Amino acid sequence: MQQLDVVIIGAGPAGLAAAIQCRENDLDVVVLDEFPKVGGRLLGQLHQEPSGEWWNGIEESKALQTKAESLNTDIRLGYSVYHIEKLEKQFVVHTKQQKFVTNNVLIATGAAESPAPIPGWTLPGVMSIGAAQVMTNVHRVKVGEKGIVVGVNVLSAAIARELQLAGVDLHSMALPTRNVVSEDQANPRLVMERLSRIAHLAPSKFIQFGSRFAKWKWVQDLVVQYYPKNGIKMWGMPIYLNKAIKQINGTDKVESVTMVDVTMHGDIIGNSEEEIPVDFVCIAGGLYPLAELAGVVGCPFIYSEELGGHVPVHNEKMETPVAGIYVAGNITGIESSKVAREQGKVAGLAIVIKEKNTSEITGKLQTAISEVKATRDAASIQFHPHIPEGRAKVSAAYDDLVKAQEVEKELEYV
Amino acid sequence: MKDTIVCRCEEVTLQELEETARKYNSSARELKLLTRAGMGFCGGRTCRQAVDKVLTDITGEDPTNELPLKVAPPVRPLSLTDLGGLAKDE
Amino acid sequence: MNNRIVDHPVLGQIDQKRKVTFQFDGKTYEGFENDTIASALLAHGVRTLRKHEESGNPRGIYCNIGHCFECRVTVDGEDNVRACLTPIQENMVVESGQVQPHPLDPSKEGVKPRTYAEYKEQEGQK
Repeated sequence: MQQLDVVIIGAGPAGLAAAIQCRENDLDVVVLDEFPKVGGRLLGQLHQEPSGEWWNGIEESKALQTKAESLNTDIRLGYSVYHIEKLEKQFVVHTKQQKFVTNNVLIATGAAESPAPIPGWTLPGVMSIGAAQVMTNVHRVKVGEKGIVVGVNVLSAAIARELQLAGVDLHSMALPTRNVVSEDQANPRLVMERLSRIAHLAPSKFIQFGSRFAKWKWVQDLVVQYYPKNGIKMWGMPIYLNKAIKQINGTDKVESVTMVDVTMHGDIIGNSEEEIPVDFVCIAGGLYPLAELAGVVGCPFIYSEELGGHVPVHNEKMETPVAGIYVAGNITGIESSKVAREQGKVAGLAIVIKEKNTSEITGKLQTAISEVKATRDAASIQFHPHIPEGRAKVSAAYDDLVKAQEVEKELEYV
Repeated sequence: MKDTIVCRCEEVTLQELEETARKYNSSARELKLLTRAGMGFCGGRTCRQAVDKVLTDITGEDPTNELPLKVAPPVRPLSLTDLGGLAKDE
Repeated sequence: MNNRIVDHPVLGQIDQKRKVTFQFDGKTYEGFENDTIASALLAHGVRTLRKHEESGNPRGIYCNIGHCFECRVTVDGEDNVRACLTPIQENMVVESGQVQPHPLDPSKEGVKPRTYAEYKEQEGQK
C-alpha cells in the first residue's frame, strides 16, 4: 500500500496553494475534490477590484491548476471523502473509489451556505445564491428569465452583480421576512450595518453616506428610517431594505413571490402585499465554515461569530491540536479567496517542515504567515469587521489546548 | 399561508421544530431524533445552522464552543455495497 | 429553449465544446462536454429533477455544489447520483427520482409514527 505524505481535501485556492508548496518540496500528495472542475468556489468569482481590475475566478483557478500540474500533482476530481479514520500515527481517508493512507491531512473544504427558510423555498427554481453563481459563471447557463434575490449581504450583492453582467434579469434584492432562523438577514438595521462594508463597491451616494457613519447607530437608524420607497439602486437594480419576501408561490415550479413592506425593525406592515412574477429565486443566508470532516477526526472547535460559526481550533501555522491534521481556507473562517490561498501556502509549508524534519524553510513559513495578515488587511471584500479579533480568539484557544495537553502528558509521566 | 420547511430532506417545518423543542425541552440531539430534522440525505448540512437557531432562540443561550450536533461518519451518504469495503486500498 | 450565456462582457465567448447527447426520463437532450447533468438540463429549461420520496413534492437543484443532495437522480442504473456534480456522457441514461412506496401498507397496518415525537404522542393517547 502506498504511503502518502499528505492528502488534501478540497481543490480550491487553499488546497491548491498547499499542494504546490508540498510538491515543490517533493512530498507525495493527493488532492481530492467532489466537484468535476478544479478551483472550488473561486471558480465562480467575478468582481471588479477598487483598482478597476477584474478578479476573474476562472483565470485565478487556471493559474493554480497549471502550476500544480506542472509539478505533477495528483488531483482526483469526483472523489467525495466520507470519513477520516485516525490510526496511531497515520490517517485513512475514505472515499467511495479508494482509501488513502497518509501521514497528514489538510482539510480545505471551504464553506457551505446557511439557509434563510421561507415558505415555498423547496420549489424548483429556488436555489442558493452560490448555486446561481456557479450556473452562470462556470456552466454558462441562465438560471431563469427573471428572478429576485432574497437576502441582502456582501455575497449576494456581489453575485447579483455577476448575474446582471451575464444578462440575467433581476427584479430586485429584498430581505426575507423575519422568523427565528432568518432573524439576522431580516433586520434592516443589521443588514445596513453589514452592507456598509461593501460600500466602496456601490456607486450609490446613499450607501456611501451611510457607511461613512457606520459606527454611529443613530445615523444608520436615520438611513433605514428614511429609506427611499423605490429602493436604493446599485448598478441600476433596486435593493430594498424596506421590503421582504413573505412567500414563494407556484405549484410545480416558481411562478411568483409575495413581497411586503417592513419597518426598520423588520416587522411586516399590514396591507402591503404585492405579487411579483418571477421564475427563479436566489436565497442568500450567508456562509458558514464547512468543518464536518474536522469534527469526524476529533478536532476541537471554537465558536466565533466573527468567523462565521464553529471553526476547528488551529494556530497560525494552520495546525490543529490533532497532530497531522491541518486546516486552511474558509473552514477556518469566512474570508476572501485570496486569504484562503495564502493560508493554503502556510499549511503546505508547515506540512513540509514536519515531514522533512527541516528548519530550512522556517523563514519562508514566517513570511507566508505575514502574507496572510497583509492579504487580510488589504481585502476589498470583507465578510465581517472583526475578523482579526476572531482569529486572535482561535489562536488563544489553540495555545490553551496545547498547554492543557502538555500538562496531561507530564501527569502521565509522573 | 404555506408552511415554512426548515429541513428540506425530511420536510420538517419551523412550527414542528418550535413546538417539539418547547414541549420536550430538548437538546439539539433530542430535537433531531424527535423530528428527524437534519437526519435526511444531506446529513444536516443544509439545515444545521437553522435548527441551531431555533434552539438558541428557545433556550436563550448563546452558542457554545461545542458543536450542537455531533458529526458522525459517513459525512456523505453511502450504499451498503460501498460501505462493505469494495473500495480498493491505495 | 436555450438558456446559454453565449457572450459575456468579461468572461468572453462560451467555449464551443464537443456536443454530448444523453437521455432524461426517456427524452433525448444535447449538452456540451463538461456540462453537469443539472446544467445541461437547465439549459433546456428543465428544472424538476426529482420528487420527494415521501410527499411527492417536486425538487430541483438547490446548492449546485454537492452539499444538499436535492438534485439526486438515477444515472445508468445507479441511484442517488448528484446531478450537479456529474458530467454528462454520451448516451448516458438519467432518470428522475420518484415517490417511493411506503414500506408498510397504511391500510393494513394503520398509520405508523414517522418520528419519535409522533410515537410518544400515539403511546400517550392509548
